[in-house]
Amino acid sequence: MHPGDAWPGVVVNTPHVMEAKLWPALQAVLDGLLTGSLYALIGMGMALIFGVMRIVNFAHGAFLVLGMYVTYLLFDRLGVNPYLGFLAAAAVLFVVGVVAYQLLLRRIAERSDFMQILLTLGVSLIVSDSAQLVFGADHRQINFALRDVNLRFGPHIALNAPEVVSFAITAVVATGMFLFVMKSRFGRALRAIAQNRYAASLMGIDVLRTQALAFGLGLAAVGVAGGLLLPALYVYPDVGGPYTLKAFVIVVLGGMGSIEGAAIAGVVLGVVESLTSLYLGNEWALVIDFAIFLVVLSLRPSGLFGSQRV
Amino acid sequence: MRTRWLIDAIVVALFVAAACKGNAADDAHVFRIGVITSLTGPAAAFGQAHKNGYAVAVAELNARGGILGKPIELVYYDDQSKPDQAVQGVAKLVDQNHVPILLGAFTSETTRAMVPAVMQKQVPLIMPTATADNVMESGSPWIFRICAGSGDYARATVDFLAHNGAPKTIALIYENTNFGQANAASMKTVATAAGMTVVDDEAYQASSPDYKALLQRVKAKEPEVVYFASYLLDATTLLRQSEQVGLSPSYITSAGTGFSAAEFPTAKGAGKYAEYTFSVSQWLPTAKWPGSKEFDDAYTKLTGSHPAYHAIEAYAALVVAADAINRAKADQPGPIADAIRTTRLTTAFGPVQFDAKGQNAHPVLITQIQGGQYKVVWPADAAEVKPVPTPAWADRH
Repeated sequence: MHPGDAWPGVVVNTPHVMEAKLWPALQAVLDGLLTGSLYALIGMGMALIFGVMRIVNFAHGAFLVLGMYVTYLLFDRLGVNPYLGFLAAAAVLFVVGVVAYQLLLRRIAERSDFMQILLTLGVSLIVSDSAQLVFGADHRQINFALRDVNLRFGPHIALNAPEVVSFAITAVVATGMFLFVMKSRFGRALRAIAQNRYAASLMGIDVLRTQALAFGLGLAAVGVAGGLLLPALYVYPDVGGPYTLKAFVIVVLGGMGSIEGAAIAGVVLGVVESLTSLYLGNEWALVIDFAIFLVVLSLRPSGLFGSQRV
Repeated sequence: MRTRWLIDAIVVALFVAAACKGNAADDAHVFRIGVITSLTGPAAAFGQAHKNGYAVAVAELNARGGILGKPIELVYYDDQSKPDQAVQGVAKLVDQNHVPILLGAFTSETTRAMVPAVMQKQVPLIMPTATADNVMESGSPWIFRICAGSGDYARATVDFLAHNGAPKTIALIYENTNFGQANAASMKTVATAAGMTVVDDEAYQASSPDYKALLQRVKAKEPEVVYFASYLLDATTLLRQSEQVGLSPSYITSAGTGFSAAEFPTAKGAGKYAEYTFSVSQWLPTAKWPGSKEFDDAYTKLTGSHPAYHAIEAYAALVVAADAINRAKADQPGPIADAIRTTRLTTAFGPVQFDAKGQNAHPVLITQIQGGQYKVVWPADAAEVKPVPTPAWADRH
């Protein structure tokens, strides 16, 4: 006799039943934290770019894919573990970011938001179509020994080892990024530009050069995320699309331009998606992203931590 | 603004010239057949299987004189695993390349999208691998299907289960496009009619990296059987995460495709996670039909690995097309379609005969992966070995 079928529709909450419900929820929360850490990094990159340059980077997901391909190539051709390869992805994307800024984005830095949107959308299409030309549209995955290792904590909780490693790396990178922006001279220059770019330039800050480096830094964060995401997923040219949208949700949720807000929002989003998937189903997890987006924009547009003018 | 007008005129002229370019090549020396399949995109591995299967058929048919005395030339269109591209492919192949018959596509989603286009252009279509039963629902005289459908898959699986332990509870896990939904719907109907209880029904997005919460939900319902409808990459991820989550049903069954792909039991697929899984199969290299072994040998020689049934379905589609055109002695769509309808052919894929709705009654086998190899376990008269019980993940290796 199962506790649940005492009367139809009535669940008798014996300790056994409570416990049975608790463990999957805890597992979902932990999985959400692991996924959320990557979201946090992607969101932080977007927040940095938006905070400093007021550019809504529609090419964010495409650059994520670029980071994944760089890491994939290093693994496939040279056997470099993705937990080292992400550094190369970060370096490549930093350079790409600076170059893209100098060549394209600085020209429209003063112009309307609409032009920025068009430009970054165009960059996004170029990057993903180039990836398709070079790599083809096939899904590619990488297989290495660590992928099969699961860390078990008792009979109810299991964590996939690669995800734990990427969580650790992400935590280090995110903390480093946060400290850099808060404490370093360069970081102060970034925040000055974010507050008022004209005043910043009057203070002797080279705005355009700082912005180029900031764009590079934002993309480097995305590169790290791409490198860490590759073992968990598979790469194909269009895989980044949903992540651009998630980055928007994270930046809005965290507060426009707030890096620490984006970090927390990313983790929150990961946990919410995971719990939604557990209680409502896998397909609802996607819907919940946009539900959050709409709710935050309508009720609290400044987000959880935002103090920036929107 | 005269220069502006001139530029516009030149641009228009260029467009018209490009559109008219079509196929001015010499038609007289080859017989062209249009093929739409997924050479790139998520289904690329299967599209490649198609291509290799077609290649074996072309070599064999050309050695016997080709079609109407001419060597066969296949005109491929890559639908990139996208339905809208498949529809464009129909237009391009029929209008520009003037092919009288089409073969394809790979997935149920892309194939279903093609059906209205094919009906409108009035060109026969032979479908090699789309299993969703709704691709045939139009009843149009222009469409024919070589392979067995989702209803047949469900019936064969339930039949196998009834004779092998008779489990009572089943959970469905399926990708959310036409293939997954059609196969899940078929299994739901068939299982319920057979007295089983469907305890869970989970659709998923095939490009998701994380199915753990979904698998937790299924685990909580404690099904004895799980029936998957998945492509290759999601099948791999699902099994790996099933191990992590500890979802160990007594029977892991599936609607083929990812779970029956040639790569699936190998390191390129799910490797050791694939062991003990059951799948439906339309054909194995060990099948007893005349020509099966020869196809297996020719394919292995061409590609270096053994074929799964998707490749021979493509082969059979082309063989049937060639036979029909040769009997019709015509290169126009109408007579060819009529000739296909009266097909009675024995092929390496088995006997082919289309019913009034264009469906070939192809038997479905149940296979299990044992020792990294697909082995037929059902029906009894085709079985090579007995099925082996599926150990829980924690008890393996």
